[in-house]
Amino acid sequence: MQTPIIRTEKLIKQFGGNRAVNGVSLDVASGTLHSIIGPNGAGKTTLFNLLTKDFPPTSGRIILYGEDITREPPHAVARRGVGRSYQITSVFQNMTLAQNVWVALYRRERQGFLNFWRHADLDASLREEATEILSRVRLDERTDRLASELSYGDQRLLEIAVTLATKPRVLLLDEPTAGLSHEETESVSRLIAALKGRYSILMIEHKMDVVMGVSDRVSVMHFGSMIAEGTPEEVARDPEVRKAYLGS
Amino acid sequence: MNPKTPRRDLLLRTALLAAIAAVSPLLMPTKIAAEILICAIFACATNLLIGYGGLFTFGQAAFYGLGGYAAGFLMARFGLPWPVPLVAGLLMGAVSSAIIGAFCIRRTGIYFIMMTFAFNQMIYYLAYTFRNITGGEDGLVGIKRPPFGLPGMKPLNLDNPTYFYIFVAAIFLVSVLALFRIVESPFGRVLVATRENPRRVASLGYSVSRVQLVAFMISGAFTGLAGALYAMLYWIMPIDAVHWLSSGYVVFTVLIGGTSNMFGPIIGAGIFIWLQGFFSTLWARWPLLFGAFVVIVVLFVQGGVIELFRRLAGLLGGRERAGAS
Amino acid sequence: MSLNLVCMQLLNGIAVGMLYALMAFGLSIIKGLLNIPNFAHGAFYAVGAFVCFSAYERTGSFWLGLLCGFVVSAIVGMAIEKFGVGKLLASAYLFQLLLLFGVALMLEQVIILVWGTTGNSKSPPEFLQGAVDLGITLYPRYLLFITAASAAIITAVWFLIEKTKFGAYIRAGIDKKEMTQALGIDIDALFTLGFGLGAGLAGLAGGLAVPLVGVTATMGTDMLSIAFVVVVIGGLGSIYGAIPAGLIAGIVQSLVTIWAAELSTVMIYVAMLAVLTWRPQGLLGER
Repeated sequence: MQTPIIRTEKLIKQFGGNRAVNGVSLDVASGTLHSIIGPNGAGKTTLFNLLTKDFPPTSGRIILYGEDITREPPHAVARRGVGRSYQITSVFQNMTLAQNVWVALYRRERQGFLNFWRHADLDASLREEATEILSRVRLDERTDRLASELSYGDQRLLEIAVTLATKPRVLLLDEPTAGLSHEETESVSRLIAALKGRYSILMIEHKMDVVMGVSDRVSVMHFGSMIAEGTPEEVARDPEVRKAYLGS
Repeated sequence: MNPKTPRRDLLLRTALLAAIAAVSPLLMPTKIAAEILICAIFACATNLLIGYGGLFTFGQAAFYGLGGYAAGFLMARFGLPWPVPLVAGLLMGAVSSAIIGAFCIRRTGIYFIMMTFAFNQMIYYLAYTFRNITGGEDGLVGIKRPPFGLPGMKPLNLDNPTYFYIFVAAIFLVSVLALFRIVESPFGRVLVATRENPRRVASLGYSVSRVQLVAFMISGAFTGLAGALYAMLYWIMPIDAVHWLSSGYVVFTVLIGGTSNMFGPIIGAGIFIWLQGFFSTLWARWPLLFGAFVVIVVLFVQGGVIELFRRLAGLLGGRERAGAS
Repeated sequence: MSLNLVCMQLLNGIAVGMLYALMAFGLSIIKGLLNIPNFAHGAFYAVGAFVCFSAYERTGSFWLGLLCGFVVSAIVGMAIEKFGVGKLLASAYLFQLLLLFGVALMLEQVIILVWGTTGNSKSPPEFLQGAVDLGITLYPRYLLFITAASAAIITAVWFLIEKTKFGAYIRAGIDKKEMTQALGIDIDALFTLGFGLGAGLAGLAGGLAVPLVGVTATMGTDMLSIAFVVVVIGGLGSIYGAIPAGLIAGIVQSLVTIWAAELSTVMIYVAMLAVLTWRPQGLLGER
């Protein structure tokens, strides 16, 4: 069997008296789109935060492409190819679209040492690449606009574009359609479907139609534990899952 | 600065800075004008952290003082060529801020502030205690300004106020232009991004603490340089320069001038020095007046004066997109 | 260097350390509630000391002096919070910091205006004078009193915070601000009272210090630095971290005085560095 791109082994995160993530063992197969669903407060975002090392796990292991990343800091994990988008849009409001993408590109292209001397916008090749990436999310017109001028839905697309600019191996999408209107949800769903196959994707979502239509596998979390896993159809039929959603 | 016309903007900016430097001594005693320029370097360096980095440092006086003491010590004891004390101040500032920064940088907001303050006071006490080096409470006296000479020219006596002013103005110009350059560079933009959303920046692969530490060092270096010039200004390095009040004053200077670009702190420096002079003519207890002024400005005029200055400063700095605040 | 001397200094250190702890405890409460480093804390200490001194001078009652020191500092603190910091809570953080800086400047100058620049001293009340024979050494009664009084005050405040309804509000205000507000608790009043409590503790520390070190114009600034260092040593998370940290600071300072008196204060900073290197989150902090 192929090495899973992400594997967690009995991952636990305890905040004081509250066990937000309770022994989660998860495998994400390479090249698939794997969704995590579950009622509010189930621990899904905490799980993501553990994967991106926003805080360390209380116990358990995280393995990325066969390598143990449990003790690594967030920026190191990001450099290994984990790209993340956030539930609350995290674009740089006072920068232009091109500059937002630039931040992600620069790190990848220039390998870390930050130049003090040249003007940041004078690099033509980075500018072209930024435009190309923005075209993938259909935001390549007037890349000189400030991010704050975009609609909420477009800001979400921008954020995904910025994440894509880091050329990740795996995408962690945290509720990509949260807070979006119907049309905006459609555009983001279409984008995700287009990304499927080219990237391994782990996604947290609430909207069932988004999840069921596009996922290869679905895991269900409830009170910090995984209570079910399988194909979308299997999970939809699972009585435990129904109880979790209806019961809560 | 508009990237499409970098050369023109650089010229304009240099011209404006040169104009400020040229006009100031016509409006006030040369020594005061020099003090404003020195304070401006200090404030611009501090703004790198406060305005651009979002790092509210209340301990910059530590590096100002250390730079001044290092340079002052060399100037008082040895007759070294003019670049030496300046470089000493710069290096002292860079090294001390690297060490102190290593302790302070990883802390969250309030701890960062408290720790920069604590380290500032530690340096103050060290300066107070080791009086054979620093002169303690009386300050480091006996500083002699080195002559200014370049290869192939007759050395100029920097005790001449005009020559000294030009010397300070030249260093002011170079320092501020360098700081402008730095904030518009890739480093500068990433620094601003870390201010806006450090988590996001880390998720893009940057080590946020490393970026912040480097900013802290750059700021410390220029602050130390300003301290070295200050030591030359009155031929003495007073211990007050290291006191935490001095750190508070520079934060106020940065705030009142405006944090959104590097012209703001220059304006702030002018206002601060002028105020200091003005209040001291009113009353020997001028810190009381100053304290009251700070309180009033902060409470009532938040939007007002500062916004006004910010708009002015914004106009001067051109369209500032990835700017601060 | 005799055992006698070391014991004496150790006990000195505990006494002074308790004062530091009291001071820093007040600072911690303010920091926990309002999330702000109180640059005016040293000024509250000085105000408390000077008010206590004057009241004691006038009336001959040290207790009245202490009470006045506490009350005046607390009132000044509450006024600053109500009319100053509280008004700026919605504004940029930098404004709040500068306000406290400005206030600290002003208070220091006001003290000089009212009481002049020359320091003063006062002996402790009759029954607290003299020394107690502890077997190993003779120990000033007043220092014992400081230790006991500080411990009593800290315990009282602990009780207030952990066991009373008001204290529950304070704890809620520190840990979960939004929820506290959502529960309908007047968070503005809570902040004002909390700030007053913190300031009052500093004032009490100042009053207690009067028979020990007298009153001087710069006493506020000196204590401010130490209070900050103690809070840093005490660490993130718990407001009680300042207490063991204060003791450590006091003991380190007093013991070092045996060898190198001028370096004794600097050693507190060295202790801070040591703690930060070995345990970056401070004594009682969580990572």
